[in-house]
Amino acid sequence: MSKRKAPQESLNEGITDFLIELANYERNVNRAIHKYNAYRKAASVISKYPCKIKNGAEAKKLDGVGSKIAEKIDEFLTTGKLRKLEKIRQDDTSSSINLLTRVSGIGPAAARKLVEEGIRSLEDLKKNEQKLNHHQKIGLKYFEDFEKRIPRKEMLQMQEIILKEVGKQDPDYIATICGSFRRGAESSGDIDILLTHPAFTSESAKQPKLLHQVVERLEKTGFVTDTLSKGDTKFMGVCLLHGESGESYPFRRIDIRLIPKDQYYCGVLYFTGSDIFNKNMRAHALEMGFTLNEYTIRPLGVTGVAGEPLPVQSEEDVFEYIQWKYREPKDRSE
Amino acid sequence: MPDIKVKHVVSCSSEDSTHKAENLLKADTYRKWKSSKAGEKQVSVILQFEKEEQVHSIDVGNECSAFVEVLVGHSTSVSEQDYEVILVTSSFMSPTESKNSSNSNRVRMFGPEKLVKGTAEKKWDRVKIVCTQPYNKNLSYGLSFIRFHSPPDPGEAQPAASSASTPRVTKLGQFVVKEEESNSSGMKPGSLFFNRSAKSPLFSPKASQNNDQPAPSYAAATLRASSAGEPGLLTGTPEKPSAKTPSPKESTLVKKKFEFSKESQVTSSAKKSVSKEQAKASPRPKESPTEQPASKKMKATPPSVPSSTAGRDPAVSPATITAEKVPAKKKQKKPAEAVELQQILQGTVFVLSGFQNPFRAQLRDKALEMGAKYQPDWTSDCTHLICAFLNTPKYSQVKAMGGTVVKKEWILDCHKRKQRLSHKRYLMYGPQSSSEEEGNDEEDAPSQKQNENTLCSSHGTEEDDLISEKPPRTPDLVSDEEMPGTSRSQHEEDFSGSTDEDVPEQHESKEEDSGGDTEDELRRIVDINQKKQTSLSKTTADDPYGGSTDENTDVEEEDEDLPIPELPDFFLGKHFLLYGDFPPAERRMLSRYIIAFNGELEEYMNEKVNYVVTMQDWDDTFEEALVENANLSFVKPRWIYTCNERQKLIPHQPFVVVPQT
Repeated sequence: MSKRKAPQESLNEGITDFLIELANYERNVNRAIHKYNAYRKAASVISKYPCKIKNGAEAKKLDGVGSKIAEKIDEFLTTGKLRKLEKIRQDDTSSSINLLTRVSGIGPAAARKLVEEGIRSLEDLKKNEQKLNHHQKIGLKYFEDFEKRIPRKEMLQMQEIILKEVGKQDPDYIATICGSFRRGAESSGDIDILLTHPAFTSESAKQPKLLHQVVERLEKTGFVTDTLSKGDTKFMGVCLLHGESGESYPFRRIDIRLIPKDQYYCGVLYFTGSDIFNKNMRAHALEMGFTLNEYTIRPLGVTGVAGEPLPVQSEEDVFEYIQWKYREPKDRSE
Repeated sequence: MPDIKVKHVVSCSSEDSTHKAENLLKADTYRKWKSSKAGEKQVSVILQFEKEEQVHSIDVGNECSAFVEVLVGHSTSVSEQDYEVILVTSSFMSPTESKNSSNSNRVRMFGPEKLVKGTAEKKWDRVKIVCTQPYNKNLSYGLSFIRFHSPPDPGEAQPAASSASTPRVTKLGQFVVKEEESNSSGMKPGSLFFNRSAKSPLFSPKASQNNDQPAPSYAAATLRASSAGEPGLLTGTPEKPSAKTPSPKESTLVKKKFEFSKESQVTSSAKKSVSKEQAKASPRPKESPTEQPASKKMKATPPSVPSSTAGRDPAVSPATITAEKVPAKKKQKKPAEAVELQQILQGTVFVLSGFQNPFRAQLRDKALEMGAKYQPDWTSDCTHLICAFLNTPKYSQVKAMGGTVVKKEWILDCHKRKQRLSHKRYLMYGPQSSSEEEGNDEEDAPSQKQNENTLCSSHGTEEDDLISEKPPRTPDLVSDEEMPGTSRSQHEEDFSGSTDEDVPEQHESKEEDSGGDTEDELRRIVDINQKKQTSLSKTTADDPYGGSTDENTDVEEEDEDLPIPELPDFFLGKHFLLYGDFPPAERRMLSRYIIAFNGELEEYMNEKVNYVVTMQDWDDTFEEALVENANLSFVKPRWIYTCNERQKLIPHQPFVVVPQT
């Protein structure tokens, strides 16, 4: 999943923007993943709210907005800014960390380490490339490109190329472009492909060849340009769309995951997201006595012991097990 | 595998008035346990074991539940939470199946690998089964059966232990109880052996007359008769053994009859189904028309000849006489054989698969009597898997491990003949591989014939088996069989040698006409025999055959284990590694060939390996391996097969795997 979530477009954009900024601060600087989630949930619920929020009390009625966030909304609505956010923005360390984490391959931990070593800007990074690993170097190299969001039109073009090449390699492959693109988003941060083959199940041995031959094929056609990492089941790299009339496209981040067939649809469900939808779905699954993750859905026993993985042949199956009405990917953006 | 006895139902959350939880204690699958109302959120039942046991495997038959979970606990524990999960919640019906109420009686067997490890290693005396069906509120659900097995117990293989374990089975259902009763009375000390020993020779009246153990065997016979009488015996058995004091000859007659009726209970049901299948696979339409009139004729023949022995004598053809010599000869060996019964299958460790009680128990007891050891599950020290049909889970498992899989007839025939027969022609493999396994085409013919015989009429099974077991058959005989009627004549010939043995079978096959006494039957058969013999005038063909009978039998007796056909050893000194994925069957076949031709099969890559057999394309790992060991050859499995087909070492070069360009 991309590091950068698509900006929410709604009546309450101002509120959701500052909430997301706070969320990223909590994640990147304070490494407080739960605060990050709390802010994101609030931002998500507010972005869906159909009218303009007038005060904190009104927002507080929403699920996921508590008194603290309501106070911040009040402050934002009355003063037009947030002291806490101003402070954060002024804080050199946190803004540097925030900046560095935007480089692919640099996470909060690496960013903090680099900042402590005195690296505060992209220029500093370029001077100290020896401190970076292969992934981070490429992240730095394509920093500007990776920052750009991918328009849906381009995503569709890339999807066409990928599915065509995969099908040429072996028509038995099943490939799905997941992420926000699958949910119908107008733009995406990166391209995330889930791949499976009937010959590969969780019972069978690892078959890295199934992944590597697809990657090699995409490299041959010039679509994949760089490799960030390549394991038995996951490829991370860089791809480039070649325009027919010589127009130039930015380099894009591409991930390909090879998933055992029996876990494929749980994986597709998970990687389609949204992450908040996933959380809600898992919560509902628990209520119904199931535990759901990106690999399997399993029933829970009376003592809470998870049972055997249930056979899943489609995303619908998972919804059926937890007795939820099936939701098309486009309806999973909550 | 020993069943764990379930003593009673401790409690259940809900039960239907007809489908009570108690039904789980019974074997019959039509007795179910169901919730009292449809749409209950969850139903559970707690069962009490008779004693603390370790649970090794669990078989569950579903009844409309979507999920089933099994927990174990102790009767002493107070809290519900003290139960530990031994079988995690397992799916029995998908939501769609639940909604359509389809596949509601799925059976799943959970072996030790499926159970929660730490829990399965401890002993427990209670189990709690929790079923849920969240997808269909209109179903009342539960289980149709559940069985628990304790770990395989080496002591269980002892005959004594097995007879002690039989009552366990009776717990499971009324049907089984009855059978076991008759069976256990058959296990009365001594009776078995007397029965066996009297049965072992080739059943000519002469032989039985010379038999000098009439009194005890008679006792045994009555014993058996009284118990076996109610369930399995044919109605209208001509003689009531208890009613009159029989002559020695008659007594053996009676005794054999009961022996046989039991035998046929055992074999006929199972054998019929098997032979039917086999007949389907290799239909011989011409056989049935000849068969039909023959049996009719038998019925129609009036009982005119006064005495069987007297009636036969003039009519006996040379062939018959030689045939009669066989039992006479065999008879002399008989006492020794009886003593050695325990040793017949000494050293054999067998596993059963696909058989149901009561036959399963009977088959096992037969093998145990002969000194074989029983294992519930295949282990490395097992020698034979006795398999009811192809593709049972154990069959695949054992086949993959390279074990010997044989048909039940092996046990039955060994038991019948009181000698260890080579299992070679009882091997259980798919039709296509049977020729490979046996390697002797002639052998196919008799076994086919045997099937036909059992199919067409159940008489004379023993004798037919005997014939079919003779390994080196004269070629002219084989060709004879292709002519309709010839094999028939062989039947008849067999008959003449063992008339009294066949009588009860005849009764059964006709399921009527049992009122006439045995003597009549004998006469009739002799009569038919006579007719056949003359009409077919096959004496020339029959004679050498008849003469060869005893010789061959003797040979086989001495040679308890038939030698494996001479195998070339052209892989001698060569080391093989099977690399990458193979279908299990193929992997096994390859290892068999490699071992058969004296090749060494390596499990891991090492410097000794010469050949890497693989189905894969060239791989980077191949290069790495070559760096380590430059003498390696990467070959396709086809090479091994071709070597086998040609029975010699052929150059491997055309079969090598080469790097792709």
